[in-house]
Amino acid sequence: MAGAIIENMSTKKLVIVGVILLLFQVFSFMVGGLIAPSPTTAVPYIATKCVDVVHHNQKNNKWFSPWGPNQCNKIRDFEEATVKRIEANNIVFAVHIPGPNKEMSAWFQFMLVILQFDIAFKMYNQIEDGAVVTIDVGLAYRDDSLSEWTQMAHSIEQRKLSCNFTTEKIIENEGRYYECDLLPFMEVGNVAHKYYLLNIRLPVNERKRVNIGIGEIKDIRLVGIHQNGGFTKVWFAMKTFLTPSILIIMVWYWRRITLMTRPPVLLERMIFALGISMTFINIPVEWFSVGFNWTWMLLFGDIRQGIFYAMLLSFWIIFCGEHLMDQTERNRFSVYWKQIGPIVFGSFCLFIFDMCERGVQLKNPFFSIWASEVGTELAMAFIIVAGICACLYFLFLCFMVFQVFRNISCKRSSLPAMTKARRLHYEGLIFRFKFLMLVTLACAAMTVIFFIISQVNEGHWHWGDYTVQVNSAFFTGIYGMWNLYVFALLFLYAPSHKLYGDEQSSVNANLICSGGHGANSGEDIQLTTTITHVDGPTEIYKMTGKEAQE
Amino acid sequence: MTAGYLLRSLLLLILALFSANASNWLYLAKLSSVGSISDEKTCEKLRGLIQRQVQICKRNLEVMDAVRRGAQIAIDECQYQFRNRRWNCSTLETVPVFGKVVTQGTREAAFVYAISAASVAFAVTRACSSGELDKCGCDRNVHGFSPEGFQWSGCSDNIAYGVAFSQSFVDVRERGKGQSSNRALMNLHNNEAGRKAILNNMRVECKCHGVSGSCELKTCWKAMPPFRKVGNVIKEKFDGATEVEQRKIGTTKVLVPRNAQFKPHTDEDLVYLEPSPDFCDFDPRTPGMLGTAGRHCNKTSKAIDGCELMCCGRGFHTEEVEVVDRCSCKFHWCCYVKCKQCRKMVEMHTCR
Repeated sequence: MAGAIIENMSTKKLVIVGVILLLFQVFSFMVGGLIAPSPTTAVPYIATKCVDVVHHNQKNNKWFSPWGPNQCNKIRDFEEATVKRIEANNIVFAVHIPGPNKEMSAWFQFMLVILQFDIAFKMYNQIEDGAVVTIDVGLAYRDDSLSEWTQMAHSIEQRKLSCNFTTEKIIENEGRYYECDLLPFMEVGNVAHKYYLLNIRLPVNERKRVNIGIGEIKDIRLVGIHQNGGFTKVWFAMKTFLTPSILIIMVWYWRRITLMTRPPVLLERMIFALGISMTFINIPVEWFSVGFNWTWMLLFGDIRQGIFYAMLLSFWIIFCGEHLMDQTERNRFSVYWKQIGPIVFGSFCLFIFDMCERGVQLKNPFFSIWASEVGTELAMAFIIVAGICACLYFLFLCFMVFQVFRNISCKRSSLPAMTKARRLHYEGLIFRFKFLMLVTLACAAMTVIFFIISQVNEGHWHWGDYTVQVNSAFFTGIYGMWNLYVFALLFLYAPSHKLYGDEQSSVNANLICSGGHGANSGEDIQLTTTITHVDGPTEIYKMTGKEAQE
Repeated sequence: MTAGYLLRSLLLLILALFSANASNWLYLAKLSSVGSISDEKTCEKLRGLIQRQVQICKRNLEVMDAVRRGAQIAIDECQYQFRNRRWNCSTLETVPVFGKVVTQGTREAAFVYAISAASVAFAVTRACSSGELDKCGCDRNVHGFSPEGFQWSGCSDNIAYGVAFSQSFVDVRERGKGQSSNRALMNLHNNEAGRKAILNNMRVECKCHGVSGSCELKTCWKAMPPFRKVGNVIKEKFDGATEVEQRKIGTTKVLVPRNAQFKPHTDEDLVYLEPSPDFCDFDPRTPGMLGTAGRHCNKTSKAIDGCELMCCGRGFHTEEVEVVDRCSCKFHWCCYVKCKQCRKMVEMHTCR
């Protein structure tokens, strides 16, 4: 890849492009911070305790609604149940999502529910070690407040209780609650209905030791998390705007490459692939989720993001490799297998993990890979392998960047001794590399900084009358930033039309630069010979071109 | 019914007429016979409410059951926290439920006000989460620009509604009297301190749900602490309460610590105006002052539950009692206990 636009652009033009991109960047932060609400909402629910007078079979399809018309027979607490001689098996915990006078909407995109038990400490009825709760749960929906409930899913799940009692276990502390970890409960990939109903039972079977030794349960609390409708709308609008922008620049880029007489080099193809994966994320197929009942949208979104990340990481490796400025001929994908390997393997691991979690949830929304012992180990294994791959990748990347810088400093020292043509070539390479390096680092730093801010901060800042949604600004801003990054790459690293016809087959100069030894006279001799023989003429063309431009 | 009781009730009735006691509404807890508060007429019949509270009741009928539950948990928690003290938060079947003990500006009054303000906020918030109330969160304090509310940006936390309701319902009695009285200032401060005991102890819980469950996307929410914890916090504040007096700074009246060397109290601290009586003896002129005669005490303890302090030096009886205890029980998570009965002999100490 020779003679990219960025090398031939005057500083003034470059600054103008930079400022325009920066304006768009600020704009994308502001869209999230000022227009969009916070990305997600968590709604707390306390399950209503309903009494199932005649114990219904599962097939009976009887649903217990905590409020509204046809509400169930309620009890306030379990003391009341003890008095009325109601057994554990006759108690149904009912939760209506959402609360009264509210409706769910397809704009919420997904809904996940977290389960928490309120378990009181009792001296003689403590939680046993490694206690497991068996939950018989059903999910139903309806679209108007009077029709019958329709079953959506039913399952018998097991969750491990991990609770600890922070104060001393003495009789004075009876009635205090255990502190229990949040349990993942349910994940639904789209919200196509207006009303949902959860019916939870905790069946007791003494013979099979089901739900024995789980302490004295006082309440079941759930937390429903969904994406805010307003955020979804802003997000979709952003995607709809970004898709054509990237598409247009991609078409323009590819036209430029096909206009050249030589076939595209690896780096050019890589940049194009990056553009494709960005467009793949951008295409707002989520619009369909508003109209259709597509539950696989969450999984699909994960896959799209995974592909983009893998592509971005591969691009960095190849970009470094192609700017290594040693005499090795690369320009082939297979040369990079050592560096790309960990990326592919790591992404594959995460893909398998995601399929195990969100893939299975398509069938059973209550499934959680973390619920079972084997599942947890498997999931941990996948994540650890992916983590090792990531470390390996970063080691490779850092090493490559180090190598490039070593070669650059080596080149720098020998630059004055070179002919003008050769010097310009290397200066171009160095500038191109350093520019991308700087921009990439800035982007990565921005991502990390904003990530930390959004993790530490409570989510919104007050600015006089305005409320700035930091988390939303993070999402739209970072998303906009990587789009601009890809946009800038496609634009600035496209071949320059000022050099049509004189491009070289490769940038690799046959130059030996052996690390710390510095440039010696022998190298200089070789340098002069290679220039005249290999790419001398093209460099002279280039030089004249540059002079003509100035 | 003893003559003493009659006299007490009579006195109480007179007192109730003259001293407007802000915790009278706690009497709601005793109204189990009323059933559900479902129409406006019931509001007027409720004893212990002042006119403005009746109006709030009429406007917020659906919330009143939660308020009544709040009164109940306030009394329960008070009795739990004070079980080992000379004044053990015993209630009477009259208005005010704690008798005259709470009508003076004592530490105990400070505790009762704080716990009852907190309990209303707690119970209303809970009722919101269980779907009993229609207008939680979304009606007020909606942040966001769109009128669509829930669909656009979700609703604000239920606790905001609970606290706001507690402020309007519980504080209205003090506000009615005007800001001048030092009792009103003390009560308002303690009410707020009680609510702060919930707000400052909210647990932040988070869930990561980004790509493959990463924390790229993280949602956090605030969970209300169990009421026992709120009770413990307020009890700690009770133990470290500050004695204050009213002072005029500029045109506003404020409460400042009586002892200038103490550091000024914060929003979360309890304040009181008068030192507490010793609660040792039964006083027929002060309803609720039952004395400690007949109370159980702990012979080995040196603290307030020890026989020395509890019985105010009057000494105590000791008797051997056979206690039937439950042992080797089988439990289910709810409503089922099968136990053997074990008998054992226990030494019981009772104050004279």
